[in-house]
Amino acid sequence: MVARKSVLARTISTPIILTLILLAVAGLSLWVNNGIFTRTIVEVFIRVMVVVGLYTFIGNSGVVSFGHIGFMCMGAYATAWFTIPPAMKKYSLRGLPEIISHNQLSFSLSITLATLFAGIFAYLFGKILVRLSGITGSIATFAMLAMINTVYSNWETVTGATSSIVGIPRKTDLWTGFAGAELAVIVAYLYAISRSGLALRSARDEAIAAAASGVDIARERLKAFVVSGMILGAAGALYAHFLGVLTPDAFYLGLTFISLSMLVVGGMNSLSGAVVGVVVLSAIIELLRTLEKGIAIGNQTWALPHGTQEIAIGGVMIVILIFRPSGLTRNQELSWSGWPFSERSSRQKSSIKDGVSEGASA
Amino acid sequence: MTESLTTENVTVTFDGLTALSKVDLSVPKRSVTGLIGPNGAGKTTLVNVLTGFQAPTAGRVTMDGADLGAKPAHKIRHLGIARTFQSGRLFSDLSVVDNLEVTGVGLGLSRRKASAKAVEMLDWMGISSLAERTAGGLPYTDERRVAIGRALMLEPKYLLLDEPAAGMSAEEADDLSRLIARIVSEIGCGVLLIEHNIGMVLKTCDDIHVLDSGKIIEVGPPAVIKASEKVRHAYMGTQVETEGEVL
Repeated sequence: MVARKSVLARTISTPIILTLILLAVAGLSLWVNNGIFTRTIVEVFIRVMVVVGLYTFIGNSGVVSFGHIGFMCMGAYATAWFTIPPAMKKYSLRGLPEIISHNQLSFSLSITLATLFAGIFAYLFGKILVRLSGITGSIATFAMLAMINTVYSNWETVTGATSSIVGIPRKTDLWTGFAGAELAVIVAYLYAISRSGLALRSARDEAIAAAASGVDIARERLKAFVVSGMILGAAGALYAHFLGVLTPDAFYLGLTFISLSMLVVGGMNSLSGAVVGVVVLSAIIELLRTLEKGIAIGNQTWALPHGTQEIAIGGVMIVILIFRPSGLTRNQELSWSGWPFSERSSRQKSSIKDGVSEGASA
Repeated sequence: MTESLTTENVTVTFDGLTALSKVDLSVPKRSVTGLIGPNGAGKTTLVNVLTGFQAPTAGRVTMDGADLGAKPAHKIRHLGIARTFQSGRLFSDLSVVDNLEVTGVGLGLSRRKASAKAVEMLDWMGISSLAERTAGGLPYTDERRVAIGRALMLEPKYLLLDEPAAGMSAEEADDLSRLIARIVSEIGCGVLLIEHNIGMVLKTCDDIHVLDSGKIIEVGPPAVIKASEKVRHAYMGTQVETEGEVL
């Protein structure tokens, strides 16, 4: 009997590699050193937060959520409430309670509160939703998204309804974006290796056997739902401070589907898949956008017709899903020299003896 | 008070169809109880009732005298009633040792402790060599053994085995019999063994219940069951001799 290495020791290479990828992305931005490109990279970091947040629930539970962008919306508006200068919000958001409308919080405190705000609502919605599995659960999360969007699109005095609210301090720069993405990766990693993460993945594979193993599936799902709701809330808050302007429709179907696409293309069941999906799809989108704008060849400008980007992304997704249905990472985590090499070699050694009996029984 | 897992008058109906009718069954601790009967007799339904996967329409389930009420499956496991499934149902994406670790974690251990217990259990079962294999790719017999190991984590009081020998060769079934004997003697479980392999049931069990069309038609030690006219008629058909090697 050999003592087993701790789960942290076995898997720590994954977050390290993902951190290196994020650092490389930030480094690219520094190297190009162009304001517009840097904004693109910040958006990529926020996307990483969004998709990693989605992975935390979807990847571990196996229930596809169409509703999480709603928590992003909540986080974004919450930080807007806390940070728009009182002189402005007194008029534009008259329905806010006095304690909020008369005060202005710091960036970091506001982000924290916005994250908690999204977490509280994730808990309340989750209490109801986590009992549903499969397509039923997915449709219910979609209904939740529609509810949230309807409230934010109509509550004139608190959210400005469909007109944009302005005056959110634009504080999200390259390094806050990086920090957000890095933190999301660390939190998602810690959840995945936690007891709850293991129990939830077992329920994803075999719900009945998980229950027979003592796993309270609804409780573990709720934990993942809240953690992922909070990551989305934080992403929304950083996004609000990135844009400076908010409308509820920025957090609806378009963002929901592109984020889910990134997760699926990367590999739904792995954290690495979430990060890889964002980086790869963002790179393709950016490349096509540049081509749509046109490139000068000699004294002629050659450009793709508008809309090529959307169509091409659709095509790329179909191709990837046909050839790699489990995503670019095949649902595996990135680690040193492939999937746990040390474990595989020790397994091979120890199964030599067993190979004989196996051969006989087969 | 005798320590046992017991059903009293358990009836289960699905849309008017009676799956179990007034079933009394007792699984004493530290012994092996057999449950046999033709396909569709209600054996798996009975296991589902005992493990919280199926609420009885009438009657009750007690463990060591205490009523289990309408507890959900995961709470039943916390009370110490474990089971395996006909179809294995391993967590196919996880390694073998993680499959066992899930039960430890499900029952409240930290990952570190659950992992250590899982390693211990694999060692006890003599299948340490499988530890890091992905459960999805295991051969049939190993899959069964891993499923039993997963159920045995943290030493449950009762273990319900749903057709664990299906598809096994005679030697493998013998190995399984020996394992069941060890489970009783070393862990002290009360085991309920559901099997179609009559030879194995007669050899392994202390007491056997025969279920037919949702009713218990005979109870007794192997010798009684072997001689029973009713069992012969219901289970094997009148023409077939009950000399064990039916399958």
